Amino acid sequence: MRKKAGFPFYIFLSIFIFITMFPFLWVFLTSLKPPGEIFSSFNWFTSNPSFNSYVSAVETRPLFRYMLNSIVVSGLTTIISIFVASLAAYSVTRLPIRFKGTILGIVLAAAMFPQIAIISPIFNLIQSLGLRNSYMGLVIPYITISLPLAIWILATFFQKIPYELEESAKLDGATPFQTYRKIIFPLAAPGVFTTAILVFIAAWNEYLFALTINSDDSWRTIPVGLSLYQSQFTIPWGDITAATVIVTIPIVVIVLIFQRRIVAGLTSGSVKE
Amino acid sequence: MGDKKKKFQLNDTQLGYLMVLPALILIFAVTLWPVAQSFYNSMFDYRLNDPERNQTTLSYQIDLERYADGYYFYEGDMESLISSLDGEDASQAEEIQSTIDEYHQMIVNSDNIGDQYQTVEEMVNNFQPVNDDNLKYGSINNDFTEEYIGVLENSSDELSAIAEGLDEDLQGQAETTAQQVNSLNSAMIRPNFIGLTNYQQYLTNPRTWSAMWNTVFFTVVSVFFELVIGLAVALVINRAFIGRGAVRAAVLIPWAIPTAVSAMMWSYLYDGQSGIIAHYFSELGLISDPSTLLSTGSGAMFSVILADVWKTMPYMALLLLAGLQTISGSLYEAAEVDGAGKFQQFLYITLPMLKSAILVALLFRTLDAFRVFDLIYVLTGGGPANSTESISVYAYQVLFAQQNFGEGSVLSVIVFLSVAVISILFIKLIGSDLFEDKKGKK
Repeated sequence: MRKKAGFPFYIFLSIFIFITMFPFLWVFLTSLKPPGEIFSSFNWFTSNPSFNSYVSAVETRPLFRYMLNSIVVSGLTTIISIFVASLAAYSVTRLPIRFKGTILGIVLAAAMFPQIAIISPIFNLIQSLGLRNSYMGLVIPYITISLPLAIWILATFFQKIPYELEESAKLDGATPFQTYRKIIFPLAAPGVFTTAILVFIAAWNEYLFALTINSDDSWRTIPVGLSLYQSQFTIPWGDITAATVIVTIPIVVIVLIFQRRIVAGLTSGSVKE
Repeated sequence: MGDKKKKFQLNDTQLGYLMVLPALILIFAVTLWPVAQSFYNSMFDYRLNDPERNQTTLSYQIDLERYADGYYFYEGDMESLISSLDGEDASQAEEIQSTIDEYHQMIVNSDNIGDQYQTVEEMVNNFQPVNDDNLKYGSINNDFTEEYIGVLENSSDELSAIAEGLDEDLQGQAETTAQQVNSLNSAMIRPNFIGLTNYQQYLTNPRTWSAMWNTVFFTVVSVFFELVIGLAVALVINRAFIGRGAVRAAVLIPWAIPTAVSAMMWSYLYDGQSGIIAHYFSELGLISDPSTLLSTGSGAMFSVILADVWKTMPYMALLLLAGLQTISGSLYEAAEVDGAGKFQQFLYITLPMLKSAILVALLFRTLDAFRVFDLIYVLTGGGPANSTESISVYAYQVLFAQQNFGEGSVLSVIVFLSVAVISILFIKLIGSDLFEDKKGKK
């Protein structure tokens, strides 16, 4: 914060924002063009904007079904992993257990596991449980991604809560579980919420498991559904850009509302304060 | 509830273990166990699309349908062969018949698959196909089967030897019988454990090494540019200015959207006919033709890296910016008083203070880049001509397009081991303070 921003700085800033936003901007502009114009011209703005692409995007594929699937799967994943992870993170940061380093090591290692290394046994597991093309069939493998992530971030947040509060609760005769529920959890609520957003986004974006496990069109999630929009002979760019705009809106809204929290969550694991 | 609680009152430590337990069980079940399974599967000839090899097995099995069918023909042929032979040959053939019969009776009368065999035999006699795999395949004792296979091999050899000394008509008959014996033999399904054969095959396969090279090239180049540009951006925006919210949003949105969705967007921007980036690049003379980007190997690799840098550079900038903001301004003031220039300040203050933030960001980014799948799978599909195929994409193709879980697992294991080596190297560099601050009070 020591430097003052001058005019060249704002020029740089505008270029930076323009470059990062350009693909979205262009996709949005394309989605408003009538199909004929998409293939024939590189004009930025169309003179007769239309919503035909949007209508077609929703009619040719079950786009809203994809969104529903994504919301349910990501939501369930978030609830389960936050619940399990908050117990574990509390125990590792606040309770006198041994092997804390080992436990955190396992968590970190699990976070680094490449999904491709576990996809075939997970596929067999889900197949034998009869859970292919279902919500639980994705929620189970998503735990591999979300649980270590959640423990890792929550541990950082729990760490920041002052010990004095806990001690005085203990003096007043609260059990560890009561302390957790009445003192720690409410204080950690912002951190828990931040973690939940990050876990939700991670589950929302997952591709490999969703591609292999839910192969039925009506059980696909957004990333998979959208990536399979192209038909065999032509690529309907109008439909694809319109669908991209529709599915990006929820994420943009989440990011705009919670941007401070997301930044706090993302940086908490890597920067010491 | 109060009463019950009192009775089972746990102390802090026990409660602590109880609270980490669910997480550890889940991590074990959905991460560690599957990795072990991948290791195990990689040592088998294991194909989903082949009913005889669609599971990993260390023990023999018998295809009862094939066996019953084979035995029916063998029995008839053997009878008529014996009746048309005479002397030495006839008694030798009878001996073969009685040995095989002895083993056959053991199968028919076994507690294990005897009844199952009867059912299948009846169906075969009625020309009904056996579609139920549980009925069709029976498990069979390993030692017994190895013995029986030995007997069948000998019998077939002996029958061929007998055939050689016979005249033409009988020769054909004896040879057919020998073939019937062979078909009994082939009804025994061997264990599909093949040890390290898959590894040998894939480690000498040029496609594996080219996929590995693509992955390493992609990882090194894209992480390098993400770090350099990300650091530059972080340094520039580390100051007070109006519009921080807009910058934060601009940085977070590419990070937050699914990689598959951004890959679709970029495939449109790169498209040879209607892609704006391809169009501008060729107008500027950077590429000879708009279609170059996705239809040539180097163009496609460039496209993949650019899309990746666009998506993750902002994230890198964000992590580094957070690191920069923890460096106290007084350090720079002191350096300025001592006459250090901007570059010296960067070299001697910023970089050392930022070291751990950089290493952690590099660790996570390198691992992410090394296991790249969605971006390449959606944007180029690994093409053209496998020139952008990463090791994860190759593994996916073998696992799910070819349905070869044995060979595909070899590639999965290679990815896993590479990631493990990279993590260990980084953690050595970062040191143990990655966990120290999370452990809390001892």
